Amino acid sequence: MGNTLAIIGMALLGLSLIYVLYRTIIGNPVSRRVVFVYVAFAAGLPLFMDLLPPVHVTPDVQALVDALEELPPNSKILAAFDYDPPSAPELQPMAEAFFKMAFKNDLDVIVMGLWPQGPQQADQAIAAALLDPDVQAMNPQYGIDYVNLGFQSGNEFVIQRMGSGFKAMFSRDQRQTPYDSIPVLQNIVNFSNIDFVMNFSAGKPGTVEWVQFAVDRFGATLGAGNTAVQAPQIYPYLRANQMVGLLGGMSGAAEFEKALGMPGAGSTMLLSQISTHAIVILFIIIGNTAYFRTRKRKNG
Amino acid sequence: MADASPIGIFIAGVLTLGIFSFLYKDNPVYKVCEAIFIGVSAAYWAVEYFYSALYKKFWLGVIPPEGSGADPDMWLWGGAILGVLMLCRMIPKINWLSRWPLAFIVGATAGLYMMTFFVSNAMNQIASTMQPLIQDTFLATLGSFTVAIGTVTGLIYFFFSKEHKGIFGGAAKVGIWFLMVTFGASFGYTVMSRMSLLIGRLDFLFSSWATNFGQMF
Amino acid sequence: MSRLSRLSISRKTFLTSLLSLLVFAAYSAPLLAQDSDISVTDSTSAELEGAPAAPTNVLAVDHKYDIGEAVDVSWDLSFDDTAGMRNVAGYIIYRSVAGSAEFDSIGAVFSLTSSFADIGLTRGETYQYSVSSYTLSGQVSEPIVSAEVTTEREWFDWDEVWVFILLVLIGGSVMYFIYHARKGKQMFLRKIAGLQAVEEAIGRATEMGRPILFIPGIHDMDDVQTIAGMTILAKVAKQVAEYESRIFVPTRASLAMTAARETVREAYMTAGRVDAYRADDIYYVTDEQFGYVAAVNGIMTRDKPATCFYLGAFFAESLILAETGNSIGAIQIAGTAQPAQLPFFVAACDYTLIGEELFAASAYLSGEAKQLGSLKGQDVGKVIAMAAVLIGAVLATLGSEEGMNIETFRGAFHGIWSVFGGGQ
Repeated sequence: MGNTLAIIGMALLGLSLIYVLYRTIIGNPVSRRVVFVYVAFAAGLPLFMDLLPPVHVTPDVQALVDALEELPPNSKILAAFDYDPPSAPELQPMAEAFFKMAFKNDLDVIVMGLWPQGPQQADQAIAAALLDPDVQAMNPQYGIDYVNLGFQSGNEFVIQRMGSGFKAMFSRDQRQTPYDSIPVLQNIVNFSNIDFVMNFSAGKPGTVEWVQFAVDRFGATLGAGNTAVQAPQIYPYLRANQMVGLLGGMSGAAEFEKALGMPGAGSTMLLSQISTHAIVILFIIIGNTAYFRTRKRKNG
Repeated sequence: MADASPIGIFIAGVLTLGIFSFLYKDNPVYKVCEAIFIGVSAAYWAVEYFYSALYKKFWLGVIPPEGSGADPDMWLWGGAILGVLMLCRMIPKINWLSRWPLAFIVGATAGLYMMTFFVSNAMNQIASTMQPLIQDTFLATLGSFTVAIGTVTGLIYFFFSKEHKGIFGGAAKVGIWFLMVTFGASFGYTVMSRMSLLIGRLDFLFSSWATNFGQMF
Repeated sequence: MSRLSRLSISRKTFLTSLLSLLVFAAYSAPLLAQDSDISVTDSTSAELEGAPAAPTNVLAVDHKYDIGEAVDVSWDLSFDDTAGMRNVAGYIIYRSVAGSAEFDSIGAVFSLTSSFADIGLTRGETYQYSVSSYTLSGQVSEPIVSAEVTTEREWFDWDEVWVFILLVLIGGSVMYFIYHARKGKQMFLRKIAGLQAVEEAIGRATEMGRPILFIPGIHDMDDVQTIAGMTILAKVAKQVAEYESRIFVPTRASLAMTAARETVREAYMTAGRVDAYRADDIYYVTDEQFGYVAAVNGIMTRDKPATCFYLGAFFAESLILAETGNSIGAIQIAGTAQPAQLPFFVAACDYTLIGEELFAASAYLSGEAKQLGSLKGQDVGKVIAMAAVLIGAVLATLGSEEGMNIETFRGAFHGIWSVFGGGQ
């Protein structure tokens, strides 16, 4: 029912664009408010559909998934959450898929954050991952299979100091348990005891700082999920082999979910993403039509 | 919003709609929402800094709680003194003292970053550009030529010691074209990001908020 | 994981290691054979029945170029790990403080791993290590003991000597140019389009009787972009003071606010109009990124500045700011070294200082010897980079099939360095 109505809505939306184009051609372009309404419908309608769009997994995402899946059980992953709720639509699906994968593969995850709200985002992602029946079968335990060290102030200097010892920066976890009495942290002194660093980043401090300090100074292996705004800035580091893989924006999240075989929020919202992109492209065409028209009139 | 209360979700939705109203035009509802946002966030950061820096890092650092087994970290007093010097700004007679912590921050950051940026952003990047120009496939060859030409002409554009004239100017122009193409790609990515934020908000309004709305009334 | 293992090993290194491994094997084969003879007759071997073959050649060396807190333990894989029974699950590493016969287990690694880094040791202490292989069913081989090792502190990391040389080269040219700029030597800097528009833009705001908005980015004073923004702010504020116009500077960082106040006040003083300086026009808004943006948007739509400057570090807010500025018809001049944000400024502003142009503009406007000199010095760095890219790419094309990596550099520098007797 939802599907049919939404598809009809989308079709009407598309047809009405012809009218918008016509108005533009006769020299009476619509106001920007109309554009907003179109974008709102294009983003909103697909949320009522339960179709999953086809997703092609790009090599950068596949490389990250391969690196994560190759980790033997009980490998230690340091998961750095450097984002806050405004970036959650893009990064939260990645984080949820990441935890599901980690728990299913019996990997040990150590969560921390350079952004104050990052560790809370991690807690929400863990809560979501724990609802998955496959994850419940593994029964991951706090303190044994994962731990949340919380936020530490000091930006990239925190990474620098973690190089000589995690304990210096995180003497207790978020629940105020001392570092030494947390089972999953036994034998973890610094980056040389960490098999993989996974970073979810929406800005600075974020992936760039993890590359500069954890990777180039302490030899960590790094994979990252970034907001699409950040992603183009991170690709050069990926190309220079300073990282193993990168998830960029919501499409990165959808690819990640697809490659791991666990569709989630990233995949369902991708349809909205595609339809808004289509609307944007159509409006670029209409806008350019208007532009060339006015220029022609000025010239003529 | 995993564990937000129904009232919290309701308020969040109303504020979202209030901010969206700016798209129509600036209005009192938007102004109220904006003021709430700024006020709440300023207070949030004040508390966050107080808790994480003053209490968690400094206070618990110099006076570790009993039974934690940690030794008091006396280095933190150095930071505390610099912090107090910062506050000297408020006393006109000694406000010059506040320059010292600033000098410390600028100096320490520069020192730390000198190596970091040089290795991560310069050496490693340059090294990764030094790939054989001729590759196995035509596309790969084209790719490595593009990378080499783009890097060199880009550097030429940012070369300030010579006027952009003649061949040099031509190369700089190629460089700016490379930059503009990069900007275009970057623009596309950001549009994607912005749309994701909108979709995230709409999803919240349609699912959590609408469900919650139904339950409340 | 060590730094080296992450970087790809060049073919030559690989072949050399392979060759040395073969030579080593040829020499050590008789010795090993002798060893195994002994172990067969050893009475303990009966107790270890079913245990995997022990690793061989256990080496413990002081971690090079550190502060004396780490030892690198390495060994050759057990015969049963790579061939034989293939039942090795991993290796256990033990440590004893020299003199004591008591070995404590300090860690374990998975099979096919032949090294372990022991960190957090005491400087100047002597240690001994031993390594056993073990199987999933819990059988542990006899431990093979290493020679004694003493942790040492070194003051200089010779692995990074090549970075040092390049830094000295570029840093040296920066110093050289600063020195000459101080002496009053004229330094040529190419024209930057955005700069010429600054004066015109301030003049326009004055004519229209509307204020000027200046955003020095959203980062604090620890970002060099913010500092460049402040330098330009000094020039802008001076002109504003001379034209008797008004300037607003809302900031997102508290330190940036103090710095901006100082900058603007000084500018007004230089212009001889300190009485017109209004501290309240330069204020902190909030640290919350979008809260700050919402506030600035509000200022723009209400006060309708005729000119907006965005010079500093910008993130997601760049397009929102520039779009709002555009909608109120302001002349906009932007500049940032934030690559991801440049597209929006380029699209929505009248003039954009791209990347380093921001720093160049700051140097140009201030005419300060330090800024001019560093810009010139960096140009030397760019020439080196261009040459490296071109020569490197050509050499890579002619020579190796794998291209170059950072180890190639390191190797080359080490070679040159050792000729002069440096390093170890």
